[in-house]
Amino acid sequence: MGRPVKVENIVLWLCVACVAIAGLAPIAVMAVESVRHNGQFSLDYYRELISAAPFWPLLGNSIRLALATTAVCGFIGVPAGILFAKSDLPLRSGFMWLLTVPFVLPPYFVALGWARVVARIGTITSDWLFGFGGCVLVLSSVFLPITMLLTFTSILNVDRRLEEAARLTSGWPGVLRRVTLPLSAPGIVFSLVLVFLLAMGELSVPSFLRYPTLPVLSFTQFAASYNFGAATAAAVPLAAIAFVGVFAESAFIRDRDYTFRSTGQTLFVSLRHWKTPLATLMAALCFALVILPLSALFATAFSPPAMHEAMQRAGASVVRSVMYSAVAATILMALGFLLGHFMRGGRQRILSALTLALFAIPGTVLSIGLVRLWNTPGTWFIYATPALLILGYTAQYCAVTTRLSLAGLMLIPTSLDEAARLSGAMWARRLFRISIPLSTRTLVCAWLAGYILCLRDVPIALMTAPPGGDPLPARILTLMANGAPPMIASLCLIMAIASLIPLVILARVIPSRGIIE
Amino acid sequence: MSYIEVDLVSKSFGDRVAINQLSLHIERSQRLVLFGPSGCGKTTVLRLLAGLEIPEQGSIRIDGRVVASAGKNLVPPEKRDLGMVFQDLALWPHMTVQQNLVFGLNARGVQKREGKVRVREMLQRVGLEHRIDAKPHQLSGGEQQRVALARALVSRPSILLMDEPLSSLDDERKRTIASDLLNLHSQFGFTLIYVTHDRSEADMMASRVCQMRDGRVAWQRSFTAGAVDHFDTF
Repeated sequence: MGRPVKVENIVLWLCVACVAIAGLAPIAVMAVESVRHNGQFSLDYYRELISAAPFWPLLGNSIRLALATTAVCGFIGVPAGILFAKSDLPLRSGFMWLLTVPFVLPPYFVALGWARVVARIGTITSDWLFGFGGCVLVLSSVFLPITMLLTFTSILNVDRRLEEAARLTSGWPGVLRRVTLPLSAPGIVFSLVLVFLLAMGELSVPSFLRYPTLPVLSFTQFAASYNFGAATAAAVPLAAIAFVGVFAESAFIRDRDYTFRSTGQTLFVSLRHWKTPLATLMAALCFALVILPLSALFATAFSPPAMHEAMQRAGASVVRSVMYSAVAATILMALGFLLGHFMRGGRQRILSALTLALFAIPGTVLSIGLVRLWNTPGTWFIYATPALLILGYTAQYCAVTTRLSLAGLMLIPTSLDEAARLSGAMWARRLFRISIPLSTRTLVCAWLAGYILCLRDVPIALMTAPPGGDPLPARILTLMANGAPPMIASLCLIMAIASLIPLVILARVIPSRGIIE
Repeated sequence: MSYIEVDLVSKSFGDRVAINQLSLHIERSQRLVLFGPSGCGKTTVLRLLAGLEIPEQGSIRIDGRVVASAGKNLVPPEKRDLGMVFQDLALWPHMTVQQNLVFGLNARGVQKREGKVRVREMLQRVGLEHRIDAKPHQLSGGEQQRVALARALVSRPSILLMDEPLSSLDDERKRTIASDLLNLHSQFGFTLIYVTHDRSEADMMASRVCQMRDGRVAWQRSFTAGAVDHFDTF
């Protein structure tokens, strides 16, 4: 008689199968497709791509853009994260959530806002905006919250007692430099790698600001020429860079990923006479990166005729967006929680790398793979329905809900699960009676994060939505070509409200904590 | 044949050897105290017996059945018929005292009505029947200890493992709970394996003491009451 199969293992393999079907299979099919021509093995697409005049400049542009965005985000986001986590800066919570706003909106909203700003100023700034500089400005505003929030969280997680021990022998600058920052380094490095990869794969902003990059080329090959082989060949370097990035991050984190016993309180540094200048600087930053472009964007959004036209032309897209995002967020929450649960149980490395690689792969690449895999007569029920979109969201964002769940689960002492196990409870019972009830806040956060990410997504929405069933970000992008600016502004406002409501809930779910030294 | 037999068991965590070729035989209903300094492997022995860790070498036998051997857990923790009181007590914070106790009974298929009776009876024994609906954070330190003890014993396990359960209490509370524990032991007759680095606790609990050092038993002796002060060789 063989060994009985455990429910735990069945669920684990079901989760892995979900991720594989949603993300790995499309990538694999795409990779195979790029080396086949007329049914035979061929590197023609790659030869054509590499020998084509635009490839190397476009790759150079993508890397340049990603590096510049990462540098700006690191330069501003890391100090901002430290300041919000460790200091008694006035209004720090408000500044932090305000700076987070651009991240929860589709990236091209900020670009559109800046376009409205420069339209009022004049053509010289317009030349600057529509190019490399504008792309860096917009992508930095959009991805700044990643470095800021991950730095903030990493620093907040450092055990207070370790800092107190260091404070006995050193002042705060020394403690931050020698203890707090080295212990937070994995989170900070992870955030920088993430920004690099996301900027590298960004489609909507470079395409709106007319800065040619590799994802734009890949999308054009796919959408305009419907040339799968060429689109795939153009996407493969992006996928390869994403995998290298994830590998580099994993290599850095190895032996540096510390787990702390949370004491529930953070030690704050008093800024004293630096309070006002730093608060003013933060206010200026919030104004420049968030308030100015978004107020320019929404300035004309409130007129009733524009709002009426917006609802007439895209009302159905609003409902669809919310529905698709809610369904995907529920799947992401469940999948992320289960994967987080298994990762905590010691299957961390492989699951972490798998989900993170899918998150780092540009949405355009994933979407091309999904379309290629499911666009067959036998799988029409997926290709022609929102299921394809949901699969795309699941593959792209399960890393986020998985890591969030893992972070939440790490705060629950293992002895609680062990005690339940010794009480005779099997895996499923322990999951439903111990882990889930103790993780309600984690689950809420994961659902909201999943919802926001799906709602703001552009490439997957643009490339995998069923005909006539496009979500709002894709609809706005389409209408921007010929729609009246006030109507577009109204649509952006509706989209922003749909995104910001969960952000407000999220801000209330995550309490601030700390004591001032 | 002894009730529990640990034979040549080894366990490492990375480069650190926690248990090194340990052999230990424990008789039914014995009160064994594993005594020694921090890091000597006492808790690892408990976790190996509970099935929460898997031995790399050697085997563990309980009541004649091999429950773990070299790299394999042959009987999972939930099937080993043992209770454990953790060092941090591990009371489930979202459950009341009653729910904490009922959980294990439900998991073992005890009827609801019988479960309630057993919970009440156990809470009476530890003097906490009036706190049945309280949540762990509403209890004092001593009450939490008793709930943890009641939870470990309510399903009437044949082995009770205790990992420094009294370390956070003052001497008076320690003595009270130790006396409760000895009463319960005489009523239920379970085999008690008790880990501590505190000599006074060992003094109160032991019918036999094993002093551990570097993952091995350095010294052991069975005692009659009052003879404990001879065992410390450190």
